[in-house]
Amino acid sequence: MAENGERREFAHPAEAQFARILDFYQMEWEYEPRTFPLEWDEEGNIVTAFTPDFYLPEQKLYIELTTIRPGLGNVKNRKLRLLQKLYPEINVKLFKRRDIRRLLVKYGLDEPAARYRGTEAQENGG
Amino acid sequence: MIGYELEAYGELAAGIERVLITQEQIEAKTRELGEVISRDYRGKNPLLVGVLKGVVPFMADLLRAITIPVEVDFIDITRFQPSSAQHGAVRLEKDLNEPIEGRHVLFVEDVIDTGMTLNYLLAQLHVREPASLEVCTCFNKLTHRLVDIPVRYKGFDLPDMFVVGYGLDYREQYRNLPFVGLLRVEVFQK
Repeated sequence: MAENGERREFAHPAEAQFARILDFYQMEWEYEPRTFPLEWDEEGNIVTAFTPDFYLPEQKLYIELTTIRPGLGNVKNRKLRLLQKLYPEINVKLFKRRDIRRLLVKYGLDEPAARYRGTEAQENGG
Repeated sequence: MIGYELEAYGELAAGIERVLITQEQIEAKTRELGEVISRDYRGKNPLLVGVLKGVVPFMADLLRAITIPVEVDFIDITRFQPSSAQHGAVRLEKDLNEPIEGRHVLFVEDVIDTGMTLNYLLAQLHVREPASLEVCTCFNKLTHRLVDIPVRYKGFDLPDMFVVGYGLDYREQYRNLPFVGLLRVEVFQK
């Protein structure tokens, strides 16, 4: 559940479903609690930053959910690589479109899961 | 893959793309785990605890592979209700029959995936002050792990695929297959 017990507004429906599953298992979570600067211009202004969707304080784990189809996630992948390079102490786990679908199917959330349907290759280990 | 395994389960076999872990591999690994557990827990009369229902085939086979005195008990928990408008939380639906204070408890799982279910259950058992509390899992799926669970005894690592059989289900089906198979995409994309 959200650390302060508040209900949140989520940027994406998948995030709301994920939060609901975390709540069910009584997992503490925070929504977008921290933004990591990744690139700066010559004047020191932040030009690229990354804000993971969730943070699980007990696990010290950030989680990013992405529903972008494989092959279209280059910007996010680049940000994740930068994040791991600049903040090696940070643990972040990426849930891709297929992972989100699997998780939703596992918990019987078939209707939301159908929104993230992919190709067969994507579905089973491709 | 061993052809006769699938053919013997005609109706269920239609949903299986291929066998990933054969019955023979599972039997060999279970015997191996039983030997190690028997050695590690000699003289400790351990209590094996499983959560219903997926663990049933593995628990039955593991019990028979253990050669020391051992007891077994099961617990059950409420399941996530996808259609529920209420945002309820997991809770024990069936508790253990006996206290575990001072007992050597081995928690037996069919599969550890995100680790959230096991994290909740271990917390429930830990506060009861067992002499020891360890985890044995038949299958370990690390891809979606959210909670770091120390696993003392492990059978197989599972790939990031939708698999069923040997206790693992899809909509409560396929648990009775004696092997682990890859579920056809058409089944869970209906």
